[in-house]
Amino acid sequence: MGPIELLGESFRFPFIQHALAVVVPLALVSGLVGVFINLRGLEFVSDGLTHAVFPGLAAGYVIAGNPGLLPGALVAALVATVFLTYLARAGLSSDTATAITLSGMFGLGVLIVSGTGGITTSIETLLFGHLFTVSIAEAGLAALACGLAALLLVVSYRAQVFTAFDGEGAQGAGYRSMTTNITLNLAIALVVVSASIAVGNLLVLALLIVPGAAARLIARRFSTMVLLSVAIAVVASVVGILVAVVLSFSVDVPIPGGATVALMFVAVYLVTLTLRVRK
Amino acid sequence: MTYFDRALVAIALAGALSGLAGTFILLRRRVLLVQALTHATFPGAVVAVLLGLSVQLGALSASVLILVLLILIGRARPAILQAATGVLLTAGFAVGILLQAMNPEVPLRLDAYLFGSVLASTSTDIVVLGTVLGGTVLVLIVFGRRLEFYLFDHVGYQVSGMRPWRAELVLLAMTVATVVATMPALGALLTISLIAAPAAAAKELTSTLRGMVVIAPVLAVCAGIVGLLLSRWWGLAAGASVAVVACLIYVGAALSARIRARA
Repeated sequence: MGPIELLGESFRFPFIQHALAVVVPLALVSGLVGVFINLRGLEFVSDGLTHAVFPGLAAGYVIAGNPGLLPGALVAALVATVFLTYLARAGLSSDTATAITLSGMFGLGVLIVSGTGGITTSIETLLFGHLFTVSIAEAGLAALACGLAALLLVVSYRAQVFTAFDGEGAQGAGYRSMTTNITLNLAIALVVVSASIAVGNLLVLALLIVPGAAARLIARRFSTMVLLSVAIAVVASVVGILVAVVLSFSVDVPIPGGATVALMFVAVYLVTLTLRVRK
Repeated sequence: MTYFDRALVAIALAGALSGLAGTFILLRRRVLLVQALTHATFPGAVVAVLLGLSVQLGALSASVLILVLLILIGRARPAILQAATGVLLTAGFAVGILLQAMNPEVPLRLDAYLFGSVLASTSTDIVVLGTVLGGTVLVLIVFGRRLEFYLFDHVGYQVSGMRPWRAELVLLAMTVATVVATMPALGALLTISLIAAPAAAAKELTSTLRGMVVIAPVLAVCAGIVGLLLSRWWGLAAGASVAVVACLIYVGAALSARIRARA
């Protein structure tokens, strides 16, 4: 079977259907979140949040197994957001505040894991994802997380757009910056939960920042940027999965889908960057 | 020396080094760069192991490559530097994971790479840490005043005829050497804690560079040793306890600074 037929056939495999079912909603939401991350320069803060959510995932898993992941991550995201806001008010530069929050909370996550012992393998899957072995229950959980994230963004859409373009104006118009930030960070945390199942906690960042950054390089209007960002995320995810499948069959070792999906996002960014520089 | 003694020596040296270098990294606002370096050295380490070279050598080459890339991007388009750093950081991780998956025979332990293996510190690790620490102290004795001038008065430094690129080069070399020497102990994910938290804590407690250069290494060494002892006591992961203690020290320093400001 040549690579082309393999691609056509591959959509029939249930494990690829499951992977697509996890990745497509994830891409839709991360494309949308990515626009706000880029416009507000929150790339490093997002990196901090993905790490900071980890102890929540670990504690949630220890307490209640898979169903515990979502509430655990949300609590951790809330704690991290409050902590980051406090550090910013205390006058610490945002990169240092993020570094301290992320490494402290990540260390806490590892401590929780090492203290309970025996669940190391499940933690490794959270760190690296397991795109091709997701169960139906996990796909449902991921979709639920994405749905909630989309809901948060839709409800706060006006506040988010206003804050992204004119933070002070938004505050003057009566939008509370703390509420807006917490809503955005919770949406990011929900994406991280879903993405931890799919591509793993360590590669989430590509999904969060590339679509927005790449779309920003091309688009001139906000609406175009949103559409492009979502489209880039969906295309890169689906192509990433197919690359993993083709590569796995051709080198005859199982290739982690998360890595190829993340690399496809990186490739998209590099292509848009070169296009932009040439113009 | 038992393995635990070696671990204590390694973490004390790593603490002194991270505290010293961290002070300058913090003041030069290069924390994000350190995060990118620690993450993106992964493929370098995998390639080095594939070629039969030392992990540190691979990490060092990858660091230099990433540094050059980021400096070029920062010069050409400063506006996208943060996004580009983030992309590069994940790209490094993804390439590393892919390389490892394609070469399952590579004997690189992933958890040791991510979280470090301070309890398995070898005498080579200690020698590397000691050398880099000695070099850093020497550089600070010779160039310390000039670096201080550069950090606190960019313009004055340039106007008085000194070349900024030299100061930058010294700071970047110090950053890379610290990251590469500390990573075996604390890994790609926790190294940043010992570099950022004690320096930030020192900044809360003093307002002079001279004070920070003393307080930050002391706090970092304390974080390392207390973290290791607690981890043995409670049977927890060693690197992670060090990271958590370092961050708690920052929280304590920040709180005490607030209380003193109010009193």
